[in-house]
Amino acid sequence: MVAKDGQKVAAVLSDGNVPGSREGLHERVLDKRSGAASAQDWRAKLRQWWPYYAMMAPGLLFFFIWHYVPIWEAKMAFEQVRIIPPNIWVGLKNFQQLFASPIFYQVLANTLIISAMKIAFVFPVPIIVALLLNEIRNGKLRGTIQSAIYLPHFLSWVVIAGVFIALLSPTDGAVGQIQQAMGFGSPSNYLTNPGSIRWVLVISEIWRSAGWDSLLYLAAIFAIDPQLYEAAEIDGASRWQKIWHVTIPGIVPTIATLFILNMGLFLSADLNQVINFQNDVNASTIDILDTYVYRLGLSTGEYALATAAGLFKAVIGMVLIVTSHLVSKRLTGKGVW
Amino acid sequence: MASQSRRTPLERIEYILIVSTLLLLTVFTLQPLLNLLALSFTEPSRVAGFSGLSIIPDGFSLEVWSLLLQHPNVQRGLFNSIWMTATSVTIGVLGTALMAWGLSRPGLPGRRFIFIAVLVTIVFEPGIIPDYFLMKRLGLLNTPWAVIMYKVVSAWYLIILVRFFEEIPKELLEAAELDGANPFQTFFLVVLPLAKSALATIALFYLVLHWNEFFRSMIYLNDQTKWPLQVVLRQFVIEGDRVAIVGAANASGNIGAAQINIRALKAGMIFITILPILAIYPLILKFFTKGTMSGALKG
Repeated sequence: MVAKDGQKVAAVLSDGNVPGSREGLHERVLDKRSGAASAQDWRAKLRQWWPYYAMMAPGLLFFFIWHYVPIWEAKMAFEQVRIIPPNIWVGLKNFQQLFASPIFYQVLANTLIISAMKIAFVFPVPIIVALLLNEIRNGKLRGTIQSAIYLPHFLSWVVIAGVFIALLSPTDGAVGQIQQAMGFGSPSNYLTNPGSIRWVLVISEIWRSAGWDSLLYLAAIFAIDPQLYEAAEIDGASRWQKIWHVTIPGIVPTIATLFILNMGLFLSADLNQVINFQNDVNASTIDILDTYVYRLGLSTGEYALATAAGLFKAVIGMVLIVTSHLVSKRLTGKGVW
Repeated sequence: MASQSRRTPLERIEYILIVSTLLLLTVFTLQPLLNLLALSFTEPSRVAGFSGLSIIPDGFSLEVWSLLLQHPNVQRGLFNSIWMTATSVTIGVLGTALMAWGLSRPGLPGRRFIFIAVLVTIVFEPGIIPDYFLMKRLGLLNTPWAVIMYKVVSAWYLIILVRFFEEIPKELLEAAELDGANPFQTFFLVVLPLAKSALATIALFYLVLHWNEFFRSMIYLNDQTKWPLQVVLRQFVIEGDRVAIVGAANASGNIGAAQINIRALKAGMIFITILPILAIYPLILKFFTKGTMSGALKG
């Protein structure tokens, strides 16, 4: 979407000068040869475009301050922070210290395990939901189910954690009561049990996103050519044969894209979720890179070390996202942007 | 799609199974919420025995709600949440629209560079600590602005708007130009009215984003009086700080507070926090669904 602007007619709002057109481009290249002409060209351009830059200024300023100044601040990862500035440049010492600490590997392992569990158990659910929803021909029924299951997507993790705390309460939570009624013994507290807390993350993630994410697959299903279904019907295909031979092949590109993009987020096990489910007892199994950085930096005051850990995550994360975007684009023609 | 004229008994059973699975999912989604809503309206004396499975209030009482709504922490939280969200959304929509308009103009010098600079922010986030030091350097620690200004222009929504503005027929803009409108007039008098539905969508995106924001409020606002609702909720429900709600309620002379079951208070608190989302949910469904269906992952 970035590249095609040159061809689009730029006559809009221009006062005679057509900067985007081929002629304009050609003139500009020629103008590079003489300094005076180029300065004139530059001034004419400014006269034409300054209102747009003025309108963009607040946004540009915001992006610069909020997203680019922190990149500069991140140089702290290579420094020894002193109470009285300036900090001392120590190169990769913080990273060495980080990679030498066993906690870092535990946190990294937790992050990878939680991400892997989410890909294995959360990722397929919306696909199944979309396939089921597509089988419902009654529009009203389908609409009602959809508006109900989309709702949790719009709730904050604070609210969702609150809901799950009530749901999993050993004394009066729904889960415990069902468990008792079915004779599975007395309920334990899943939220404080290091063995079960990861499953709580998985299930709460399903609760929050399964419905909404099915929308993407549903959109892909609706884009399938109806003639394919008609042909299958004429051939006498059953419901399952149609799903298996028409619907699923039709949404494989979407599945592939979303799978690859999910892989790009492998080092982000969702800070907002984890921080609300974390407590002193379960921290050992769900302490992820983000919560580690948060604790290390803002609670313990190990700023340089925390920044190094954050930068490690950011760089690996960026590589993963860009790689998955490129892979996705190559394989399916769809990417993140 | 294909008609279901001939149905074998097997197909009927299949259909019933499909519908029941989805209804089960619907129950799994809604029951926990309805249970909490019912709990918040249950007669205080019967809260102790209220089942986690029930979705009908046992007796009916508004005590929890009136207590919460009169509570100074909740009132302040509600007030803070509303003004902080309103400010973020206003600045966000205006800032995003202005920047998107510039970026959507073909031939804008530096357009490609700015686009790439914006995309970079999607993939690279330097992390919490550099952000914290930026806020410190800007003198925004413990001020609502550290929270309000976060993602006030979101790269994603910016790109959505740029796409929308690129679709505006250039004849309309030329007509405005011929009538003697300067670029500012064109933007405010021609483009913005045309983009009403796109702007409404973006505004809703921002609304949900900012209303649900809690992490920055949690780390940047030390002063409890500045907390938005999400952080008040977090302190009470997640951290289980009973004193925060009951203690202050007692101090404010509300005698009923100690008798009211904590469970019901937590349930009511959760619902106060999500009430605005529920109130605009039909709108959210309309705009988000349409946006996701049509714009999903095009690139």
